Amino acid sequence: MQTPTTLSRPLAQRVAGLHDPRAPSATATALPASVIDAACAALDRGETHYTDRPGIPEFRAWVADHLRERYKIKIDPAEVTITCGSTEARFVCLTLLAPPASAVLCPGDSSPIRGALHLVGAKIVDAIQDDISLLYISPDVYRETSTELLRRAEETDWWIIYDLSLAKTDPPFHPARNPKLASRVVTINSLSASMPGWRLGWMAGSEMALRLRAGKQAITICTTAVSQWAGLEWVRTQL
Amino acid sequence: MTVNANPNIPEEVRAVAADGTQLRYALMEMARDMDDVIALGRGDPDLDTPPHIVEAAKSAIRDGRVNPTPVKGMDELRKAIAERMRAVNGLPVAAENVMITTGGQEGLFLAIQALIDPGDEILVPDPRYSSYDDAIRRAGGTMVSVPTNREDSFNLEAEAVEAAITPASKALLIVTPSNPTAGIVTEDRLRAIADVCIRHNLIVIVDEIYGKIVFPPWRHFSIGSLPGMAERTITLDAFSKTYAMTGWRCGYAAAPVDVIEAMARVKQVTTGPVATVSQWAGLAAITGPQDCVADYLKIYTERRGALLDGLDRMGFAYGEPRGGLFVWADCSSTGIHATELSYLLLKEGRVLIFPGTAFGDAWREYLRITMLEPIETLKTAVARMLPVLERYRLPPPQND
Ligand SMILES: Cc1ncc(COP(=O)(O)O)c(C=O)c1O
Repeated sequence: MQTPTTLSRPLAQRVAGLHDPRAPSATATALPASVIDAACAALDRGETHYTDRPGIPEFRAWVADHLRERYKIKIDPAEVTITCGSTEARFVCLTLLAPPASAVLCPGDSSPIRGALHLVGAKIVDAIQDDISLLYISPDVYRETSTELLRRAEETDWWIIYDLSLAKTDPPFHPARNPKLASRVVTINSLSASMPGWRLGWMAGSEMALRLRAGKQAITICTTAVSQWAGLEWVRTQL
Repeated sequence: MTVNANPNIPEEVRAVAADGTQLRYALMEMARDMDDVIALGRGDPDLDTPPHIVEAAKSAIRDGRVNPTPVKGMDELRKAIAERMRAVNGLPVAAENVMITTGGQEGLFLAIQALIDPGDEILVPDPRYSSYDDAIRRAGGTMVSVPTNREDSFNLEAEAVEAAITPASKALLIVTPSNPTAGIVTEDRLRAIADVCIRHNLIVIVDEIYGKIVFPPWRHFSIGSLPGMAERTITLDAFSKTYAMTGWRCGYAAAPVDVIEAMARVKQVTTGPVATVSQWAGLAAITGPQDCVADYLKIYTERRGALLDGLDRMGFAYGEPRGGLFVWADCSSTGIHATELSYLLLKEGRVLIFPGTAFGDAWREYLRITMLEPIETLKTAVARMLPVLERYRLPPPQND
């Protein structure tokens, strides 16, 4: 049997600049018994269907509560979408908020956003210039740097992604506390450190929240039901 | 009659009437705020994931076999799928030709990103599964419609495909059995379509997600099994519909190795690997007993009969539903625009059904009805619909 190796036509040009996937690195420590039980109980209840497109209401409510309690920002659960890991949240936000040929300002590690921005054809810069569409920051960026950039952002229409998912630090600071920025800030986070194989993350906030939700739906419809129920137990008991 | 002008329809429905996917979600949201609605809208099987599949997932969870897999998926699963596709579909594929995707939906997204450059045209039979529009649009692709019709039970004609080809054509998208029409593209037609694709060097992306839900004597056939097609076909499938596994988000794609490598590179930055627990469930589905597939088909066959009886009583016409989970019904005898009719059936009949316009602008005389409720519920739905139709049905136009 001759199995096919090469397509009869060239691939799309955009895939040329992408890197081959990494081998899986994360191996999680054992999950708490209550999380295992919650996952199995969800399956026993028949939670095997599509969930609400943006995610189960309980999880979205938890995310909104958590953002309010920890960072003192106001997010409606309707502005929260549960995603397949922070990867999907980043992909959706970057590809919908950064137009092709625009510049994304990234003062810290840009490796998490390179692939998605390559696919849309946006460029990454580390200093302010005219064509910036989006500022991507995490808590690990020096506070003086992010404070200065966020101050400059007040005079612009940049979107702001505040990505907590890969951060090594977690200060109570949050850019959406600034009312001049709040409607332009999307917060991203995930359970990838503790439950990496379950593919669970979220994106929350901004006036684009509903558009981002539709963007996620076009790619994966909703996030794995059992992962959402397991993750809900994890955040309720472990955070 | 234009939808926008109709004051019967509330603003939130009118506002999104032009976007098929958003229109469906607007109706679903309305239904959520109402009591006792029979939902014949979304294509989510009401049946449960078979117990042996759920048990396999639970064992994996309890044993801690939940760490992330490679982006292309677990090797065992890719191998099992390749074996199945060889044996059942006749596709010349090995594990390296297969990757696991986050449902069939992501398979299409990745394939489009890997294949379609801005300006490329992709031929799409009309009506279409409009949830794919966004993926095509985002890659800068242009959809070019290929007509199908009720008299032909929405089978696809090679001549119609060929007539739509231009120098910019890159790919043909086939969904067989079809959502929304329940038509299938028969083997004889696929052979003729394959000839056209080879002559014009077109790629075929074929979504076979309903391929195991086909009503005898009709048969599913995979175009990728034909000579000269393996190097130009991307076959998409998923566990979602066959095994009632929509919530697991587990599907797969088979294609030439370079396409799989490219799709995996895109997947790495789109969603990463599929949830490990869902892959174990998929492995149990594909390697375990297959009686559930036949059992489910029997259930759908009975429901289809009940639903078609009801449509006959309503005076609706339809192409023969040959596969999948829907009936695509012509409601022109009512004289009511499908968007308005959907709205009225929901508001006054408490039955959620999607209008044909959600699947292509021209289909304002069609409704897409799912068979995803028990037979008694389907009968109740018919009983609720009949008086609404009687109340609003317009007299046939006078020919004078
Ligand atoms: C034709 C077709 N393809 C793909 C999908 C998406 O399937 P999945 O849930 O596996 O992503 C659907 C769901 O309705 C469908 O009808």
